[in-house]
Parts: sequence; C-alpha cells; structure tokens
Amino acid sequence: MLKIKGLKAEIEGKEILKGLNLEVNPGEVHAIMGPNGSGKSTLASVLAGREEYEVTAGSVHFEGKDLLELAPEERAGEGVFLAFQYPVEIPGVSNINFIKTAVNEVREYRGLPNLETKEFMTLLKEKQQLVELSGKLANRSVNEGFSGGEKKRNEIFQMAMLDPKLGVLDETDSGLDIDALRIVSHGVNELKSKDNAFVVVTHYQRLLDYIVPDYVHVLLDGKIVKTGSKELALELEEKGYDWIIKELEEEKL
Amino acid sequence: MATLTVTDKDRFLINQEGQDFSHEAKTFIKIRELALKNLKGLDFPSNKLEDWKYTNLKELGKLEFRPQSAANIHADKINEFKIKNLDAYFLVFVNGFFEPSFSDVIEDKESDFLVTNLNTAKKEFIKLVEPHLGTQTRAKDQFFVNVNSAFSQDGAFIYVKSKAKLDKPVQIIHLVDGDLVAAYPRNLIVVEKFAQAKVVLTYDTIETHSALCNSINEVVVEEGALVQLDKIQNENTNTYHISADFAHQAKDSTFTINTLPANGKVIRNNLNILLNGSNSTANLFGAICLNGNIHVDNQTFVDHAKPHCESNELYKTVVNDQATAIFNGKIYVNKIAQKTNAFQSNANILLSEEAKANAKPQLEIYADDVKCSHGCTIGQFDDEALFYLRARGIKESTAQKVLLDAFIGEVLDHISNEAVRAYANQLIAKNFKSQFAALKN
Repeated sequence: MLKIKGLKAEIEGKEILKGLNLEVNPGEVHAIMGPNGSGKSTLASVLAGREEYEVTAGSVHFEGKDLLELAPEERAGEGVFLAFQYPVEIPGVSNINFIKTAVNEVREYRGLPNLETKEFMTLLKEKQQLVELSGKLANRSVNEGFSGGEKKRNEIFQMAMLDPKLGVLDETDSGLDIDALRIVSHGVNELKSKDNAFVVVTHYQRLLDYIVPDYVHVLLDGKIVKTGSKELALELEEKGYDWIIKELEEEKL
Repeated sequence: MATLTVTDKDRFLINQEGQDFSHEAKTFIKIRELALKNLKGLDFPSNKLEDWKYTNLKELGKLEFRPQSAANIHADKINEFKIKNLDAYFLVFVNGFFEPSFSDVIEDKESDFLVTNLNTAKKEFIKLVEPHLGTQTRAKDQFFVNVNSAFSQDGAFIYVKSKAKLDKPVQIIHLVDGDLVAAYPRNLIVVEKFAQAKVVLTYDTIETHSALCNSINEVVVEEGALVQLDKIQNENTNTYHISADFAHQAKDSTFTINTLPANGKVIRNNLNILLNGSNSTANLFGAICLNGNIHVDNQTFVDHAKPHCESNELYKTVVNDQATAIFNGKIYVNKIAQKTNAFQSNANILLSEEAKANAKPQLEIYADDVKCSHGCTIGQFDDEALFYLRARGIKESTAQKVLLDAFIGEVLDHISNEAVRAYANQLIAKNFKSQFAALKN
C-alpha cells in the first residue's frame, strides 16, 4: 500500500530524513518511535504534503501512485489521512460545515455523488458517538476553544468521516489523559480493517497498549534503524534509546 | 501680464453653472449659498491634504462633466437592481434624479412613515425637513460635501414618526447612466423618538465610461430610536464614488451602518457619527473585498460628545490583484464623555503581491474614565489553516473561499436582512471566483 524508499527530506536547508525506508501493507498497524528530533513528525508532514519540507531524494508510492507528485487535497482524496499533532483552530468556520465540505470534496475526488443531508447527518451522528464527541461541538468553530482531548477526538472523528485507507497519527497521544486516550484508541481500533492501515507516530509506549502494532520501528537521526514486534516498544520504554545507539556503533566497528 | 489658468476646481464647478434652484424655499437656498461660499475657500482635493494623502483624484479633476440631467430608463433595466427576494419599498434615482414611476411612494400625511423624494418633502413636509437638512454637514471644510450641498438635485426622504416602525426596509437604488455624468444624490432619513427603520442603499451603474457619484446621507436618530443602514457600492470600474454619511444620535439611540464597497474605480466613504446623547450606541461595520484595480478609502469619525456611549467599529478587508484599501478611523472622546466605551478594529488580508492596504487608527481622548481600544492587522491567510483544510481533501480554491467567508462572515453577520446578506455574499463571491481559480495555478 505504502512504499517509502530512501526518503531524504529537509526543512530550511537542514536535512531531517536521511534515507528512510518503510513498507506498509493493508491490515497492518506500524508504530514509529524515536527520541525528539529524530524525524517522526517530519515523516508525517512529508506524507501529508506539507510544503515547508523539501524532498531531496527517494520516493513515496501509495497504491502505485507517486504520492510526492500530489497536492495535499489529492492525497486526502486518494485515502491518506494525517491526524495532526497540533490540530489547527479556524475561527468562523463551523466544525459541521468544515467536515461536510471535506466529505463532499473527497467524495467528488473519488467519483462519488455528494451525500444527501439525511445520509450525512446519520454518518455524522454515528462517527460522533464513536469518539464520544459532543454534538454541541458541531456548531462551534473548528477546534476553537476545544480542550486538548476534544481536539484529538475531533481528529479521529474527521478520520472516521473521511474513511481513509492509510491513517497517519502524529503523536495523537501526547497531552491526553487516560480517558481521552482510551476513547481515541477505541475509535482507531473500530476503524481498523483488513483493507486499511495505520502508521502511529508516538513518543510513548502507553498508546501501544491500546492500539496494538504489528511492527514497531525505531527512528533515529532520520533513518529507521531497528524494526521489531510490539515487545520492542516495551523495551524502549524501559531502557530508552541509548542501547540502540550503542548497538549501532558496535555494528559499525 | 497675468495668464488665465483653469484649475481643477474651476473645471469641476463650471459645468454646474446655470443650475436653477430658485423654485426652492429660502431655507434650502441658504444651504446651497453657504456651500458655495465654503467652496470659495477650498481647493479641489490633492494628495497634499492629509485627508487625501492616499487617494489620488488627479484624473477626476481633469474630467469635464456635463450639466446634470435626468436619463430615460426602461422598467426592466431598473428591476435587475432590486435586491432579489427583498420585501421592501423601492425608491429609484438615476443620475441623482428621482424616478417616481419606478418607486413606491408613501406620502399620506396620516401615515406613520413617509417614503418619498427629498424635493417633494421640501415642499410638502417642509417642517419635517427644515430642522434636519444640512445641519449635519459638520464637515464644512470638505470639498465634496459642499459640492453636493450646493448642487444636489434630489434624493430620498424617509421619515418615521415617534414610536412607529417602518414595516419594511426601504431600498434606495441609485443608478448612474451615461458618460461624463456627475450625480449628487442626497438622502435624508429622520427617525423620531423610539421609532425604527432599516434602509438599504445600493449604488449601481447602468452604463458609463466616466462618472462621479458624490452622495450624502444624513441620518437623524432621535431618542431611543433604532436605525440600520446597509450601504452597498457596486458601480462599474469607470465610476468614482465619493460619499459622506452623517448620523446624529440622541440619547439611548442605536445606529448601525454596514458598508460594503464591492466595485468601482475609486470609492471614498466618509462616515461621521455624532453620539450626542448619553447611552447611545453606534455600530460601524465594513466588509471590503477588492479585486482588479479598485481603490477604496474608508474614513470614519466617531464623536463621543456625551457620557456613557458606546461605539463598535469593525472593518475587515481582503485585497487582491492591484487593488488598494485605505482605512482611517478616528475616535474623538470629549472631555465630558466619561464612561465611554469605544472599540475599533481593522483587519486586512492581502492576497497578492501588488495588493495594498493602509491602516491608520486615531484616538483623541479628553475624558479620563473611558475604555477605548483599537487594533489593526495586515497579513495573509493563515497557512496552517489552509493546509489543515487541504489535508482534509478540500481543494485550495475552496479552502481559500472557506477562510474568506469565515473572515468576512464576522462582518456580514451584522446585516440583519437575509436577502441583503445573500446579495452581499453573492457580490463578494463574484469578486473572488476567478481569482481563487487563478491562485491555484
């Protein structure tokens, strides 16, 4: 589904990703862990098409298409969804109009007709319930005055509405209390199917207690240096990253 | 030997010579004479004047306007300028002259309100007109205010009796038609104690290659009265529009003016609000969405003359192409105007490299117990918000439209009539449709 080969990317002349390889197949959940500054969020941003990042080498293919050639909205249309680490507040745009516009634009991209109001409302209610998002938030401006937990639940709600093939969660767990973490994870788990996949970028192992990964990758200095099973996350939690750095240095020798 | 040179002012005034207003009552002729006297001491505005620093009228000064005359207009031409779905009384003026056959006139002396033209009112209702006409011309140093005061042919007269409510809004339609037309419409709106009125002013063009619409609106808001004015300027790109709006508010009154300059060559609006009674409120809102080469200059002056008054001012501007937006907002708080609340905000978004915005807030406060604030911002659309919308599958052009609507919506929400708001939205969408498509490439 997703094939990343030798990806190098920089921002303001500083190279962050230094030859990253990753392959994700339908039905899989991949966790990407790594210390601050290792390039986790850069990877998520490059996949979503943030323009500040310049890709200098390598390729990203999504279902055979060159993802890097596509505009952010086309990527969303193809089925890539980024749950933002810091969801953006947009004063004056109601949450419900925002999601309605997004759903219909994505449907248009996929060659589907607009949803009838009734169908839309049914879908809306169902997905709001999934992440226990109060209906009151629908008429508020996008993310404006939302609590941290509400913002993150709103991300998962949007993901549920847009029904992507690949969900990239960028530190969705940061700043969440246990209840919110449980709700967000429940939402993701409900959306999981054999046809879609998730890339979960996180700093902490605790999220992976709820969203169980098939693979755990360690990202260090812009490259994936180690891949393991969910047990690797526990090991990282316990021992930190230094032992991997040591391991790598020994390999070099 | 002295050489005889024709100044811009001469050229401007010469075409009005021979206009005959001698049929008018003395009291009204006096207003014209006073204006002519004022004009003797005034030059045609140039950039040397602080007030006209950013708005250049050189080209206008060279135009040789024809003497004013009424035009022949077809009914179907008029109808397209009535706001769609607006249930209103319509008053139609072309080049400053009244078109009674296309207008809904109410001049029954027993009625709670009058909707007619000023010339009729000057004869039939002189007692209602005389105390108010020209008295708000608190701008005797303004060239165009005096030109209008001297040469205005006609305009609307709306009067609402004490405690009465104008049952429908009035749309005053002003049209410009023909080349080298200078029109001087002048409207007078008198709303008595505890009465209410809503008036929509629309300025449009039928056809012209060069025209000036120099308008004045005088609004009298008596004790406890409620008046809302929506002013929509949609003339063609050959038309200059220079206007002055005067509101005179008594205690406990509320006056709201929504200004929407959409199209034209050069638009200059001078708002002059006098809060002359305690506990009165003035709301000044502007939604300015510009494209092409248009130049729009909004000048507001809010005079807090009495204590416990409030003024709210919000002007939002989006500028595209080579368009220019000027905002100059002055708040004056008199020494006795304690407990004044005065708020002013002007936010500008520039969409292109060549778009220009100029903002100048001015506060002059002589009372010591007041709450005043002002803020001006000039920027672009929030890139983060734009990316967020696009990451959700929304096309860039749609995303920009969404953000524009949100930005301007805060102002448009103050237009209480749905049909008028829809029309305002439609004008803004039209101005930006092609531009957003272009931005995408």
